[in-house]
Amino acid sequence: MESTRVITEMILEEAKKSAEHIIQEAQKSAEETLEKQRQLGVQRASESAQLLLKKAESEIELNKLRNMANAKIKANWVILSKKENWIDKVLNEAKNKLKSLTQSKEYISILEKLIIEAGIILGRKELEVLLNEQDSTLPLKLDDLAKEVSEKTGFKTKLRLSEEKPKVIGGAVVRTVNGKVIMDNTFDDILRRREKDLRFEIAKILF
Amino acid sequence: MSVLLEAFKAIKEKHLEAKRIVEEATAKAEKLKNEAEKKALSVYEEAYKTTQSQAEQKAIDIKRKAVEDAEHELEKFLSNAEDQAERIEAKARKNFKKAVDSVLNMILQ
Repeated sequence: MESTRVITEMILEEAKKSAEHIIQEAQKSAEETLEKQRQLGVQRASESAQLLLKKAESEIELNKLRNMANAKIKANWVILSKKENWIDKVLNEAKNKLKSLTQSKEYISILEKLIIEAGIILGRKELEVLLNEQDSTLPLKLDDLAKEVSEKTGFKTKLRLSEEKPKVIGGAVVRTVNGKVIMDNTFDDILRRREKDLRFEIAKILF
Repeated sequence: MSVLLEAFKAIKEKHLEAKRIVEEATAKAEKLKNEAEKKALSVYEEAYKTTQSQAEQKAIDIKRKAVEDAEHELEKFLSNAEDQAERIEAKARKNFKKAVDSVLNMILQ
């Protein structure tokens, strides 16, 4: 009877051990399955996360470049407009000086020189001189000026004062009597004609 | 003879009991595996969402940091530009008269 009891206990013991092993293996397998799925989820998400981060980094780089470019444009614009502003100030001051000059004694000789210069360039027999309201009252000796033009050109030139009075700072417009050929030697037109050179020269001196 | 029979009977009973124990364990194991299979999708989704959401947060953080860095860089750049503008201003003020005289010379020459 004792040996039977030992055998039956052994049978039960073996069965319990087997059962325990089966359950442990199943638990291990279940845990592995879940861990595998968790890792798969992480891996798949990591792939799309990498893309997401790469996209974010590209956006950042692009924004950075765009912002810097805008800032450079803005800074350059500020500096350029400051320079342009100073150049305009110089030109305005020069205009004011020219206006003051038209009130000075030395102006007549300057005006005469401008008329002679225009007359020589036109090189015609009869020319009209257009002066502004104030300059029309100056005691200019147009015959003497005409003589000087004639000497330079070889034409016998006559100069006469036009009734027309342009609204200019100073200087003179000289034209043929039919009005077809004009030489504008007013300060205003000289400034306009030479503005590009003047601005360049001013910039060189100022900055 | 009857003692031997009793012994066989007892052994057979225990065999049956052992078989039942193993069968129950097998069924439980199968159940564990099936439950794990069912849970697998939600574990996958949970891990996916967590990782994705961490990446999204990281993207937000690096973008925020980049914006702050860019602001500092811009401030520095614009401050340099302002310094440059001030230097230009000072130089222009100093050379203003010379430039005006030069214009007059060019016009009246």
